[in-house]
Amino acid sequence: MAQILKTLGNPFVKNVLSAQETLAFAGVVISKVFSRRSYNSATKMVLVNQIYFTAVEILPLFITVSIIFGSLLIGIVFAVIKDLGLAEYLGSILMGFVVTELAPFITVLLIALRSSSAIDAEIAVMKVNQELNTLSLFNIDVLDYLFVPRIVNGMVSVVLLSCLFSILVLGSGMLFSFFIFGMGLDTYGNTLLNSTKFSDIVIMLLKCMTFGFFITLIPIRFGLRASHELTSIPVAVLNGMVKVFIAIVIIEVLSLILRFI
Amino acid sequence: MQKAIALHKARLGMVSAQAPLISNLDAWLNVALIRQYHENLPRDRARREVLASLDRFGMGAIADRRISSLEDQERFCIMLLRAAMVKRAVLVIDRPFQIMPDLQDARYVGRSLKWIDDLYEECHIFDYVWMKDHYGALHGEEH
Repeated sequence: MAQILKTLGNPFVKNVLSAQETLAFAGVVISKVFSRRSYNSATKMVLVNQIYFTAVEILPLFITVSIIFGSLLIGIVFAVIKDLGLAEYLGSILMGFVVTELAPFITVLLIALRSSSAIDAEIAVMKVNQELNTLSLFNIDVLDYLFVPRIVNGMVSVVLLSCLFSILVLGSGMLFSFFIFGMGLDTYGNTLLNSTKFSDIVIMLLKCMTFGFFITLIPIRFGLRASHELTSIPVAVLNGMVKVFIAIVIIEVLSLILRFI
Repeated sequence: MQKAIALHKARLGMVSAQAPLISNLDAWLNVALIRQYHENLPRDRARREVLASLDRFGMGAIADRRISSLEDQERFCIMLLRAAMVKRAVLVIDRPFQIMPDLQDARYVGRSLKWIDDLYEECHIFDYVWMKDHYGALHGEEH
């Protein structure tokens, strides 16, 4: 029994400590994000580059995925709504499901796959190459120069791309509403506007920012765990990405609980 | 050397294989980074200044190259310029022959230092005792 408890307990304690460290690190990073001293010509340049790599370079793939996946899904949703005779709830279903749930989730998955892994590998390579040592020798705070721009970029990019996803899917919803319900543009627009709740938008924005914060913070933390051996890079990326997906699930569950309280 | 690093920490301009260039930045950005970060120098002005200082070495053409494509001497010059960008810099050059293993003696190091002698206040070169012979030429050039 003691052995079983020990076997179960060790990983549990390890994970709790790791989560505690991540949250403590998050506290330090948040204080830096809101400090004016963190922003200078160099960090602003990194921020602009990061936003370009994360939110602009991904656009062709993102728009294609949004249109294909979003249209298919919205087609299915509309067909189900028609079959069940729930046309009067169309607006609520679209705003509640597409805008607050689907858009942030699809966006964060795509950004995590592309940018979180890149950030994890980049920080791990910098650690292995002793480039982080170079920065500290020149009195450059790695939190200001490397971490804050990446984390702010994560938050900005997830919010912007989620909004884009919502616009594209609601746009394709306009076509489906015309073909399935014979609904005009005015009626469709009014239905959506009447179903829009301020609290839904706030929850969506907060959720996107939380997603963006953690899918960049966690890879940074795991990238920093790389040793000075090249073989530690894939290990750092692997562990970081697993934790990123766990974080996505936890945030999603917490946001659902918050919404329905 | 650790003593010199600790003593001049605020004005330290380190040139060492153990303080490599940042690999995801172009050559000029490695140099500009110091003044952009510490003095909030705008990007365009920083670029102009870096290009002017690279011209002292006749290396203006390498400004936009990635670090991995640089020759050893070009890499040394970028490291040296980066170190000289620190305000009232105290240059600490750690085993230059580790950065440029093909060099016969330290004349190139001496010449490079002369080209930028208005950009730093002090310079200390550290190397193994058995490398002393390599620095004979440098003493001849009064460095």
